[in-house]
Amino acid sequence: MGLLQRWVARQFTTRVIVLMPVAIAINIVLGYTVQSGLKLPIYMDSIGTILVGVLGGPLPGLITGALSDLIWQYAPGIGSGSQIGPFAITGAVIGLLAGLWGQLGLFRPRRGRSLNLVAAVIALVVIGAIALYTYSHAYGSSDAFNSNVLGNSSWTIDQSRLFFGAVMVVFIGLVGWALFLRGDVGAVFAISAGLATGIAAAVVSAPIYAFFYGGVSGSGTDAIVAAFRAGGDSLYQSTLKQGLLSDPIDKMITTFVVFFIIGSLSRRFIARFPNGEKLLGREVEPEPPSAPKDEAADGPKDEAAGAS
Amino acid sequence: MSLDLAAVRYRYAGSSSVALGPVDLRVEPGMVVGVAGANESGKTTLCLVAAGMAPGVIGGRIEGSIVVDGVDAATLRPHELAQRCGLLFQRAATQLTHTTATVFEEVAFGPCNLSLAADEVVERVWWALGALGIEALAPREPTRLSGGQGQLVALASVLALRPKYLILDEPTSELDPAGTALVADALVRAARETGAGILLVEHKTDVLARIADEMVVLDRGSVAMRGPVADILGDVRLADLGVEAPAKVRLARDLQAAGADFTAELASALG
Amino acid sequence: MERSPLVPDPGSAASSPGLPRNLGLPEYVTRRPSGFYRTLNPATKLAIAALEVVTVFLVPGWLGPIAVLLVLAVVAAASHTMRALAVIGLAASPLVISIMVVNLFILPGAVDPIFRAGPIAPTWSGLWFGLLTSTRLLVFSSAVALAYVTTPVDDLLADMSRRGLGRRGVFVVGAAVQMVPRTIERVGEIMDAQRARGMDTEGRIWRRARAIVPLAAPVVFGALTEVEERTMALEARAFTAPGRQTQLRVPADRSRDRALRWAALLALAGVVVLRLSGRVG
Repeated sequence: MGLLQRWVARQFTTRVIVLMPVAIAINIVLGYTVQSGLKLPIYMDSIGTILVGVLGGPLPGLITGALSDLIWQYAPGIGSGSQIGPFAITGAVIGLLAGLWGQLGLFRPRRGRSLNLVAAVIALVVIGAIALYTYSHAYGSSDAFNSNVLGNSSWTIDQSRLFFGAVMVVFIGLVGWALFLRGDVGAVFAISAGLATGIAAAVVSAPIYAFFYGGVSGSGTDAIVAAFRAGGDSLYQSTLKQGLLSDPIDKMITTFVVFFIIGSLSRRFIARFPNGEKLLGREVEPEPPSAPKDEAADGPKDEAAGAS
Repeated sequence: MSLDLAAVRYRYAGSSSVALGPVDLRVEPGMVVGVAGANESGKTTLCLVAAGMAPGVIGGRIEGSIVVDGVDAATLRPHELAQRCGLLFQRAATQLTHTTATVFEEVAFGPCNLSLAADEVVERVWWALGALGIEALAPREPTRLSGGQGQLVALASVLALRPKYLILDEPTSELDPAGTALVADALVRAARETGAGILLVEHKTDVLARIADEMVVLDRGSVAMRGPVADILGDVRLADLGVEAPAKVRLARDLQAAGADFTAELASALG
Repeated sequence: MERSPLVPDPGSAASSPGLPRNLGLPEYVTRRPSGFYRTLNPATKLAIAALEVVTVFLVPGWLGPIAVLLVLAVVAAASHTMRALAVIGLAASPLVISIMVVNLFILPGAVDPIFRAGPIAPTWSGLWFGLLTSTRLLVFSSAVALAYVTTPVDDLLADMSRRGLGRRGVFVVGAAVQMVPRTIERVGEIMDAQRARGMDTEGRIWRRARAIVPLAAPVVFGALTEVEERTMALEARAFTAPGRQTQLRVPADRSRDRALRWAALLALAGVVVLRLSGRVG
């Protein structure tokens, strides 16, 4: 078997194959519930994708992300998916990146050692720089009209600061909350990965919105798109600017949730997945004299939960 | 021809404590060996080890040997083990594939995985359904069955692979008395029709009393008692090991304690 | 062993045309469809849907959507699927409204207002673009919906399996489709339980946002706890055995299916090439 074939086969163990349909269903149902049930302006349809990517690898993540939107449109079982098919491309990118982050060990718990703190600060600087670059270019590009709603030419620069600021506020908020809840510096890496994923998702989605949907998504964020359009931005630019606000926030929340879920799974459960070793912390936690019965049947939970 | 566990010790992955062992056990074709024990005494681990799931699918470390009809289980791949030792779990729902529209196709899933010829698959499906008397369930949707029916379908699905040995981990634990009776009867039928050797873990000792030939009681991972079913179930040490004696035995004891005098017929009727 | 009356005689007529021998599979297993369009091979229907989608988006102007709409209307009428398609179409109305409103009033670069009411000036270009985009989307989703309504997922997977899709792909898609209703029930149960504990699912946006984690976490954990046992159950059914999975159900692939499929794929390639070469649009 060639190296490539082995790399592919390694990611598609039976366990991953079992996880994927579960993840797809979670994506679809949570996405629908949050968007149509709770009516929030975020998507929350990628938790499953990122989970599969982080646990299984880039290829399972890619397939999970793509299939979620394709199945949501083709065989719904639930509403609001009837035009979501084209976003399979975005889903695939999200899953692929999640696999990459998992293999880079970005979702590993990192507690205690001061080296972790230094690494975290470096990560913050790196992600901050990337985000700053992205936002200043997206919102202040030379293609953008300088005359706009407020008739103030410096508004284009201010836009970039405004949205960059908004996204950073959410970033710092989530990281702070994670540190408060768990004192685990790994949250910085995980949520940074979410920010990067969100930026990538926005960049990939903007042309999809523009080409298929006339630059509109049918959700509350269209008001923002309309505002950019009124300022003279093209279809593509308006959806990119809107995307660079909602996608990073959505993906940061998603990776926050995934980070906590992974942190709550037992070492045994995680170890059996392809990316297992990359997700286990360095310190060996003492194994409690745990119940063999629920180890087998109730794999995930940390504490012995009693007989199943 | 037997399923032999010899000096088996097993540790789960990442755990240093011995979850099972040392255990010696033999299951012969046509025999039903019952396993009882308190919660967390290693009953489920025993099932996983005997069927080759541990360490084959879930990892962990094993010592001792497991020999199935003369073949060392460690040399067998999971699909080869599946054709020798069928395994059934407690929850019917998690054993469904959730990819089939009818019970017929659900039961056919195993044989189809073995790339058997289509007519052989069909024959095995009808045979498995017939062995349990559930041909009438063939057109039904697998996800819409009652607990007992679901377990029977799961059992048929496993039987369709024609294993020599059946290992069942508390198959009636989530069923009501009607479902329990259904499954117990079906097991008796299956044993008779297929000649398989059965390793049956059960908390409900009434079921064991009814269908097991001999039994074993586990305590903290090792065998504490072993012998014919009637002897073990009548033994007073069961309670110390966390196993409740069958209803008949408890009734007899209660009556004796209350001073009832037994005639021979009454004593034998109570078993 | 004497066969029970429910077991069909192997010599009986009920068998799937794609199989080499008369298997005596009952009708509830073969589930053969009726009606011209439904009996078409699943891959053929997919190819037709793909052609329709590509035409809608790549053929410029109104020609693409209108042509496909006409074809869909004819097929839907003939296969009695009009109502199903209409329901799906209706589900898209919020999106359509959004598209119309945003583009009508704010199409970048539009200079032909219909009327002016202060700063509000809907434009003809905006109207045209909004209508075109909406129509494209509706026709697109109808084309996919038609394929779905006339092709059960089982049949599609059986056909893909025949064409080489491995057992793992078939499992992932098939199980995902069946899992969605189960997960919906679970989410419903959790939402009810959380509401009983005082979680707010209406109300201000911040309150609703706080409902996410108590909702998402139990759903995900509940699903993960089953993974271990379901993995073992699959292995216990010889899922990882080598070789091709035997197929009991094989959708027919007659010469007319193949002809239609090739025609559709060639036409699709043609549209793509024409568009890319700049001859049209």
